[in-house]
Amino acid sequence: MKENSTRSGIKLSPVYRPATVDEDYGKRFGNPGEYPFTRGTRAYSGQGWIQRELSGEGDARRSNEQFKYLMGLGQTGLDVIGDSPTMSLMDPDHPLARYTVGTQGVSLCCQEDYRQLLEGIPLDQMSISSSAPSMFTVAGLYLVAQERGISPTVLRGSVIEWPFYAEHCSYAYKMPFDLHLRMSCDVIEFCSKHMPRFHGFLEDTYFFSEAGLNAVEEAALGFVEIRHIVRTLLARGLDIDSFAPRIAILTNCSMDFYEEIAKIRAMRRIYARMMKEEFGAKDPRSQAVNIAVHTSGLSLTTEQPANNIVRGAVQTVALGLAGVSALEISTFDEGYRTPSKEAHLVGLRTQQVIDLETNINSVQDPFGGSWFMESLTDQVETRILDMIRDIESRGDPAELVASGFFKQFFHGTMGRYHHQVQDGQVIKVGMNVHQMPAAEDTLLRDISEEKIPPLFDRIEQLKTWRAARDHSRLIDALTRVHDVVQSGENMMEAVLEATRANATMGEIAGVMRQAWGTPYDPYGYLQSPLGGEQ
Amino acid sequence: MSAIRVLVGVLGMDQHEVGAVAIAKTLRDEGMEVIYTGCFNTPETIVRTAVEEDADVIGISSHSWEYLYYMPELIELLKRNELDIPVVLGGSVITEEDAAAMRAKGVAAVFGSGSVMSKVVDAVKSLAARDTAS
Repeated sequence: MKENSTRSGIKLSPVYRPATVDEDYGKRFGNPGEYPFTRGTRAYSGQGWIQRELSGEGDARRSNEQFKYLMGLGQTGLDVIGDSPTMSLMDPDHPLARYTVGTQGVSLCCQEDYRQLLEGIPLDQMSISSSAPSMFTVAGLYLVAQERGISPTVLRGSVIEWPFYAEHCSYAYKMPFDLHLRMSCDVIEFCSKHMPRFHGFLEDTYFFSEAGLNAVEEAALGFVEIRHIVRTLLARGLDIDSFAPRIAILTNCSMDFYEEIAKIRAMRRIYARMMKEEFGAKDPRSQAVNIAVHTSGLSLTTEQPANNIVRGAVQTVALGLAGVSALEISTFDEGYRTPSKEAHLVGLRTQQVIDLETNINSVQDPFGGSWFMESLTDQVETRILDMIRDIESRGDPAELVASGFFKQFFHGTMGRYHHQVQDGQVIKVGMNVHQMPAAEDTLLRDISEEKIPPLFDRIEQLKTWRAARDHSRLIDALTRVHDVVQSGENMMEAVLEATRANATMGEIAGVMRQAWGTPYDPYGYLQSPLGGEQ
Repeated sequence: MSAIRVLVGVLGMDQHEVGAVAIAKTLRDEGMEVIYTGCFNTPETIVRTAVEEDADVIGISSHSWEYLYYMPELIELLKRNELDIPVVLGGSVITEEDAAAMRAKGVAAVFGSGSVMSKVVDAVKSLAARDTAS
């Protein structure tokens, strides 16, 4: 461990504690790396957080170049987002997808895409997080590692599981809830057995938080989903300590500086207590949840985009003080697009300046012991727990999904946030105060006019590629997926085999829906390769 | 006098509903009848619904670049069916250059980043009045 001091030469202890450590300190806070992990899940290492920026645009080759560009800038992890069709389990040649292929993320639908996406990436060294559908991301990553002679047991990274809220406020799977939940549980179970260093369950509160939720609402809804998925996995007969060490949370970070720090401290404590006291987890790793953060896109403005650089920096300081495991900054051009090359550079450099120049990582949980911060953490925690209780008192969370409870909730928060900004309750410099005439608002504006055209060529290439596949092998593999869905077995092995047989994500997802008795193509355009009722 | 009827929807794969829901609520608060069609619309479904619901104005919210392609299709489809329903487009991803291009294609009003809700409301009222007068 390195010895830290200020620039004036004042020696710093990596952790500061009360002069007299009493029982209350142990119960409410604990040292970093100790239950209930309020002050952090790891003992002091001085290494800071994994630095990454959201990436993915165009096709897999273009995104691979983007990865290498970011790694060349010193990025220490990857975070991939698919384009809208990819995020919604649709192939790029789906008629509804054509104008968006590759424009707000990378277009991925088959194993060859994953080969190209990950070409030259050191899979055994680089943490790879993905927002793309978990079952197909895990399959792609697992198979590429195998092909390259890398044991999947060394893979690190994460995939998002979002059966509760995806349909309402992020990217629709158009999967029946029970099937979506089963997909998530199958992935988590598979990863716990075959990819033990990989987080097969990333609870992503970021996506739904962008519907305008406050910190308490975001965390409460996240815990409702975590609890339900954990209960479902336990009902399968899994041991809590077999999968809980690989649950992580990706949160949002708004501009409410202190509350965001308190939220993260409170979330670590709630998670630890839930795992230990409610679910009986014994492994300390099962109780210590890693929290990664994506700074808020909703907090950014399209007016005076340079102001967004400041917003990203302020949020990054908050997160550094809260002790997060990984971080990505929503770039200054996010109001218009997924990050441009220039915005990626600024985002990553912002992280690096704060990490390397400010000494921010010299002390762990520097707000620990602050009367204000401890009080705020307690209050945030109490409110989160109250809201979880309130939601669960309304009925089984799965039934609440089906009844539209969460959809209604999100629609309320979407309108609420916009009106708060319009009314000036939420202050936005450059937007509702200190505005600038459009003609003068030119700084960094040129980037907003740059656009990535849809990949019409890819659509045509995919159609040709489809026709050239081994049709018999493909149908056998898809039939196996269909049967496994109906049998209730874990679907991952069948999905791996179908992926090897060059089935696309859209085909596999469609066959799953078909086996469940719902339409192969929920949008009504496509026919199933297996025939039968659509 | 009957209330102004506005269709509000999102086109294609754009699933960012925050703006659409917010403007739908604002228009309702202004006493208008809002037919909210949500996501996954095509120009065809928008026009069909607008006719079935006798909409005075069509409002499209966009947070993806799909509007560059779908909006001309929507305008063309209205023309082909001889439907004089004004279309209003809003969304923070719409740049100044694109707004001008959309207006040139026949979109009645475009609201990009920084637009004030009251101006959107005024535009809808004005376009609906024009429709009624004609």
